[in-house]
Amino acid sequence: MSGLLKGRTRVVSSGIESLRWCWRRRCLSQLAQDEAENDFASKMPPFDYSPPPYTGPSADEILAKRKQYLSPAVFHLYSKPLNIVAGKRQYLFDENGRRYLDGFAGIAVVGCGHAHPDVVQAIVDQLNRVQHSTVMYLNHAITDFAEALAAKMPGNLKVIFFTNSGTEANELAMMMTRLYTGSNDIISLRNGYHGNGSATMGATAMCTWKYNVAQSGIQHALNPDPYRGEFGSDGKRYAKDVEELIQYGTSGRIAGFFSEAIQGVGGIVELAPGYLPVAYDIVRKAGGLCVADEIQSGYARTGSHFWAFESHGVIPDIVTMAKGIGNGIPLGAVITTPEIAQVLVSRAYYNTYGGNPLCTAAGLAVLKVIEKEKLQENAFVVGSYMKERLAALKEKFELIGDVRGRGLILGVELVTDRKLKTPAGKEIVHIMNQMKELGVLIGKGGHHGNVFRITPPLCFTKEDADFLVDAMDYTISKM
Amino acid sequence: MAMQRQILKRTADGARAKLSFYGCASFSTVPSSKAAAAVTPPQLPPFDYQPKPYNGPLADEIFEKRKKFLGPSLFYHFQKPLNIVEGKMQYLFDESGKRYLDAFAGIVTVSCGHCHPDILNAVFEQSKLLQHTTTIYLHHAIAEYAEALASKMPGNLKVVYFVNSGSEANELAMMMARLHTGNLSMISLRNAYHGGSANTIGLTALRTWKYPIPEGEIHHVMNPDPYRGIFGSDGAAYARDVQEHIDYGTSGNVAGFIAETVQGVGGAVELAPGYLKHVYDIVHKAGGVCIADEVQSGFGRMGSHYWGFETQGVIPDIVTMAKGIGNGLPLGAVVTTPEIASALTQRIQFNTFGGNPVCSAAGLAVLKVLDKEKRQVHCANVGAHLLGRLRSLQQRYDLIGDVRGRGLMIGVEFVTDRKEKTPAKAETNVLFEKMRELGVLVGKGGMHANIFRIKPPMCFSKDDADFLADALDHALTKL
Repeated sequence: MSGLLKGRTRVVSSGIESLRWCWRRRCLSQLAQDEAENDFASKMPPFDYSPPPYTGPSADEILAKRKQYLSPAVFHLYSKPLNIVAGKRQYLFDENGRRYLDGFAGIAVVGCGHAHPDVVQAIVDQLNRVQHSTVMYLNHAITDFAEALAAKMPGNLKVIFFTNSGTEANELAMMMTRLYTGSNDIISLRNGYHGNGSATMGATAMCTWKYNVAQSGIQHALNPDPYRGEFGSDGKRYAKDVEELIQYGTSGRIAGFFSEAIQGVGGIVELAPGYLPVAYDIVRKAGGLCVADEIQSGYARTGSHFWAFESHGVIPDIVTMAKGIGNGIPLGAVITTPEIAQVLVSRAYYNTYGGNPLCTAAGLAVLKVIEKEKLQENAFVVGSYMKERLAALKEKFELIGDVRGRGLILGVELVTDRKLKTPAGKEIVHIMNQMKELGVLIGKGGHHGNVFRITPPLCFTKEDADFLVDAMDYTISKM
Repeated sequence: MAMQRQILKRTADGARAKLSFYGCASFSTVPSSKAAAAVTPPQLPPFDYQPKPYNGPLADEIFEKRKKFLGPSLFYHFQKPLNIVEGKMQYLFDESGKRYLDAFAGIVTVSCGHCHPDILNAVFEQSKLLQHTTTIYLHHAIAEYAEALASKMPGNLKVVYFVNSGSEANELAMMMARLHTGNLSMISLRNAYHGGSANTIGLTALRTWKYPIPEGEIHHVMNPDPYRGIFGSDGAAYARDVQEHIDYGTSGNVAGFIAETVQGVGGAVELAPGYLKHVYDIVHKAGGVCIADEVQSGFGRMGSHYWGFETQGVIPDIVTMAKGIGNGLPLGAVVTTPEIASALTQRIQFNTFGGNPVCSAAGLAVLKVLDKEKRQVHCANVGAHLLGRLRSLQQRYDLIGDVRGRGLMIGVEFVTDRKEKTPAKAETNVLFEKMRELGVLVGKGGMHANIFRIKPPMCFSKDDADFLADALDHALTKL
C-alpha cells in the first residue's frame, strides 16, 4: 500500500489526503485505545444474539489477499481495518465476536437491518424455486414488486426499469432524458454523486471520483448548500445559476437536471429549501426532464417522507433508486411516466440480471418490512432525537461546524475554525478511529472528507442513538 | 428408427403453428412405414423431480401487469409468453407444472444449473450471516473469491474488480484502457454486443441495441465471420481492416480493442481462426490494450478451454466476465494486470454492491461446482455430440445454413437460400415457437433474428442433446 502514491506529483484534494494520511499511519496508539475504553461510561444497548464462532481467515490474511488480488485503489476505513464477519439488525460483529453499532449500514444500504429474517426468508423461498430466468419469460416476482413500488410513487410515475446498481439506474435515466428531449446537455449539482459509469461520472461532480476520461454534455450548477453556499439557505437565489448555465452554456434546450435531495457522498448536504421547485421550473421551461436521484436519501430514510424529494414539494419526471431497495442485494430501479418510458421502444434496452426473481422477491420483502415495522416513522422519531442530541454537541464543541440532515440521514461537519469553516480533515479521522474502538461505526464524506455520515439501518433505536452520540461526545472531549 | 427425408423448398406462410402437441406427452402409434420419429414428437428425458405446487398469479395477469408497470419496451419470447415459476438444473417449469428443457440458461447465465444445491447453500449460509457492508470493511469472501478467480487466469492477469453486470464490467474495462494508454479510440467488432450503458452502447455494434446517443470515438471493424464474412475463415485477412481503421481513422494510437470470442447476441458467431493473434499484435503496436469479453464464453462453456480467448491462442490485457459467473446472481468482474490496474489509483473508483459477501460466496461456489462436476470436459463431450446431431440435420434440411460453435455455445443459422444465405426470419420464428411447444426453450439471435442460440446450463446431458435435436428435426418436418 505504501507504494501506492509513489511518483504522483499532482496535488490532490485534502479529502483524499486525509484519507491516505489515515491509511498510512496508525493514528491511534494502543495506549490511547485502552484509555478510551476504560473511561467511557456509556454502554451499547443490550442485544440478545451472538453470531456463530468465526473460523475463517484473519484480518491480516484478508488484507494481504486484497492487496494481492483486488484493485490497488480499493480502500478501507480505519488505520486498523475491521474484519466484519456477521451482522444482525443494526449491529455488526468482527472476527472476535465483538459487537459494533452500525451507524453507516454499508453506506445507507442495509435499511431493514442486517440479515433481516423476512428478507432472508424471501430470498430462500425464491432461491428454492427459480433464481434467474430473465424477462424473456414471465415471472410474478418482478411484477409483484413493480406494482408495490409503483404504489409508493406520486403523480404518474409508475413504469419501472430494474437494474443492478445505482450507477446503472442513473446511466439509464441519463440516456432516457437525452432520447426523450432530443437534447444532449444535462445539468447536475456541484458536490453531487451519481455513479461511476461513463455518463454518470460526468454527472458526478467531485474531482475525487472523476477520472481523466472524456465526460461530455454536462454542466455543473452552483450547489444550494445551506452551510457553505454563498446564499445560505435561500434556495431560490441558487437556482439562477441553472438559468444562466442553460442560457449561456447550452443551445437553450436541455435534456435534464439531476440532483440528490440530500447529497450523500458530498457530505449529507440537504439542498436549500425552495431550490428545487424553482430549478425544476427553469429546467422544464428549457424542455428538460427533472430526475431525482433517491439512491441514498430515498426509501423511508428521511423519516418525514418516503422519498426525499417529497420534502421539497416537487414531483420529478424520473426517479432513480438503489442501495436500500434490496437491503444489500444488488438491485436498482428507474421509475418514470408511461410517456417517457416510450422512448426506449425505438430500440432494445435489455438488462440480463435486472428484475430477476431473487432480487425482486427481496425487494418486495423490504417494502413489506418497512411497512410492517414502521421503519419510516422510526427513522423520523429516532432521527429527530439523534439530531437534537448532535445539535447539543455542537453547542458544546467548537469543532462541530454544522449538524444537518433529517431522519436517519444525518451529517456532522467538523471544522477547525467556525468562521472560516476550515475542514478538520485530520481530527475527523482520529475521532472516527476512536469511535470504532468504542464500538461505533459511522461513515465519512464531503469533498474535504470532514463530514460524518450517519446513515444506520432504519431499525436504529433511541438507545443506539444515545450510545452513538455519547461515544462522539466522549471522544471529542478527550481531544 | 427410420427418419423420413424431407427437403424443404417452400417458405412458411407465416401462419402460427397450431398447438397440436403439448410438451412431451406421448401419442398414439403411427404406422412405422412413415417417418415414425419425425411424426411422433420426441420425449423429454426423464427427471426425478416434481415442481412445487404453484398458487401465484397466472400468465395473463402477470403479462398485464408487465405492460402496466414495466414499460412497453420490455420484450419477451413467444407469441403467448411463458410463465416460468421454477427451475431445477437444466429444466424449467411453467405455472401448470409442465417441464421444459432449458437450452438457453437465462441467456447463458445459469451455468451450474437452476437452483443448484451448492450455490443455494452458499447464498443461504452467507445471507444468514451478512449480506452487505462494502469493501470499507474487510471480509473473507471477496478476498477468497478474487484469489480463486485470479488462479483461473493465464499470464499476469491477477487483479480483480467486482461489479454487478456485464455492462458495468465493460464500462470499467473501457475506462481502464483509456486511462492506461492515454489514448481515446476504442475498436470493437461489427455484430458485437458489449452492454446497454452509455459507453458500452458505443462498443455494441448491432443497431437493434443502439440508441441515438453520443458515443465518443469508437471504430467498428469488419467482423471475422466465417459464415457471412467476405474472407470466410481467413482470420489474417480480416485483421488488415483493423490496421486500416487505425491508420486512417485514428491518430495512429488507440486505447483498446474489445471482442467476444464467440459473439453471443450476434448469433453464436465464432471469430475466424487466427484472427485475434493478428489483431492483438496490431493493437499493441498502436499502443492499445486488448480486452476479451468473456461474459458469455467463459467458465468452461467452450469445452476445449476454460476461457474463450484461449481458443484463439492469445492472452488479453483485460478480461471481463458476468452472466455464468454467479449462476444468475448479479455479479460481474474485470481482471487485469497490476500495471493496468494502477491507472485507477489516480482517483477513487468504488462500487457499492460489487464484491458483496453473498455474491462473492456464490461466485466461489460456482467455480468449485464447475471444477468438481468437471463441467468443461462435459461441455466438450456433450457439445461435440450435439454439434454432430445438428450437422446431420443440416445434411437433411436446406433451411439450416450453418451449424457452428463449440462446447455448449452453439448456433444454428436458418436461411431460405443456401447460396444467398437469405435469413429465414419467419421460419426461425415458427421453429422457435414449435420448439417451445415440444418442450425446448432455445434463444434467438443475430441481426436478422434467424439464428438459434443453444447455450444451456452446463449440466445439460447427452440425452438432453438428443431430445433437442429430435425436437428440431420434428419441428422442421412440420414446417
